[in-house]
Amino acid sequence: MELKFDFKRGWRILFAVLIVIGLAGIIFGLLTNPARAWANILLNNYLFIMLSIGALFFYAVQYVTHSGWSAMFQRIPLAAGVWLPIGAIVMFLFYFGMHYIYEWTHPEALAYDKLLQHKSPYLNIPFFYIRVVIYFILWIGIAWWMRKLTLREDIEGTLHIDKHVKAAGAFLFAIVFTFTMASIDWIMSIDAHWFSTLFGLKNLLATIYYAVAFIILLMLWLQKQGYLTQMNEAHRNDFARYLFRLSIVWGYLWFVQYLVIWYANIPEATMYYVPRAQGEWSTLFYLDFALNFAIPFLALMNDKFARTKIVMIAISLLLLVGMWISLFLQIMPGSIGILQFGIIEISGTVGFIGLYLYFVFSHLSKIPLIPVNHPYLEESKHRHF
Amino acid sequence: MSSKTIIGVFDDENLVVNTIRKLNEKKVRIRDVYGPFASHDIISAIAKPSRLPHLSFLFGAGTVFGTFAFLYYTSVVDYPHIYGGKPVFSFPPMVVIMYLATILVTGTLSVFTFLGISGMYPGKKAQMPGIGTMDDKFFLVIDENDANATSAEALLMQHGALEIKYE
Repeated sequence: MELKFDFKRGWRILFAVLIVIGLAGIIFGLLTNPARAWANILLNNYLFIMLSIGALFFYAVQYVTHSGWSAMFQRIPLAAGVWLPIGAIVMFLFYFGMHYIYEWTHPEALAYDKLLQHKSPYLNIPFFYIRVVIYFILWIGIAWWMRKLTLREDIEGTLHIDKHVKAAGAFLFAIVFTFTMASIDWIMSIDAHWFSTLFGLKNLLATIYYAVAFIILLMLWLQKQGYLTQMNEAHRNDFARYLFRLSIVWGYLWFVQYLVIWYANIPEATMYYVPRAQGEWSTLFYLDFALNFAIPFLALMNDKFARTKIVMIAISLLLLVGMWISLFLQIMPGSIGILQFGIIEISGTVGFIGLYLYFVFSHLSKIPLIPVNHPYLEESKHRHF
Repeated sequence: MSSKTIIGVFDDENLVVNTIRKLNEKKVRIRDVYGPFASHDIISAIAKPSRLPHLSFLFGAGTVFGTFAFLYYTSVVDYPHIYGGKPVFSFPPMVVIMYLATILVTGTLSVFTFLGISGMYPGKKAQMPGIGTMDDKFFLVIDENDANATSAEALLMQHGALEIKYE
């Protein structure tokens, strides 16, 4: 069993090609249709911030709950959380594209709009960026703390688990408050007149949900390459259970948000759902629900069926597509207003995927793939039904 | 304890598991294992597959459609009435009722089905092969009428049974 992941040259070249395609597409978009390009940058950056936060959330939850089964895989979520510093850079570059996306940055709109005036103490550009700085300092700082602890463990020998629990608990506590606020700032404020108190919680749960899907894909791919040879059916079953439970929660929150707005029938609230559910977006709206809830729920119901590799890979890929679609639905109607899908969206997404995977793989190749001194490592290796 | 049985008495969980595996190779039907605590290894060694989850799924699916049919009949067919400006047939509020009714009905029906399969009912006297299961003994019960039961006695002694009882 090899200690470190080998990042082969072919993959580097492939990711470099993807990054070049993405850069070309985004530059082309900025020259021809800047609003579309900036919305696309926001979508992809937020998507990978979600994956990073969710992966680190998963990592922290494993420590806080003293979980033994996942000790072997703890390096995968740690590497998947590597996007955060890059996400911070992109978020600061986003200053130049804010006017295309957010209505509340326009002074002329503020002049006559009562609701925007009411919200302006919170939604204004300086305070927005103060909050962005606070979020990223907290997230990157605590993630760095967790990473340093686990790398120290590799060199010095097993640390007491309570040290990890302290860092992980701080991370969970910070994320629950700051990520809900971040999703409200970046996504919900696109539709500045609309508000939903469930929005932040729904996106926070979605982070964990999709991050587990991404971790499953990475884990099965690594096993195919000949790493993680100790992985067996029981581990796969645990991951499939995670997906199944979280799919129920996701569907529940999606439906509750819809039901309350549908039932109350208040114009300020329904204006969010009417174009999505009855306008040109309606196909995507129901596809979103099907991909993120209905298909995983029915496919993962039987444990024996859910833990086969082919089902797990298929469901995880479907979920990542569903994640893109659900973010597309959250961002595009409010910022652009017409359904457009073409070269800018595809190339931008491909470029961001290449960049993200390049960083994840290079990070995986720098640190040992298995935490050799993790206190629960033996329990994880000998897990069985 | 209707028919004649052979009972092996053990005092160690691992011995019981090994014995069960040996008996499974010899195709001896084990009626049941009684013990002071629930042991995951013993349950997986006996490996009697349960079809109760499939039945629960059917209960759940039936309840979803049954509840929907009931709501549709009451609110659309039998007594169409406009409440709060909503159309007569409005699906979203029905989902909540379907969801809750499914949980309730599936849970209760599954419990009663399980009790029926196990032959249990409230107030039933516990059937125990011996008083030792209350402290630290495991009782492995085999039917005497079983075709392969003759080899079972030797196996039980061989694998560390404290005693063999006939009832």
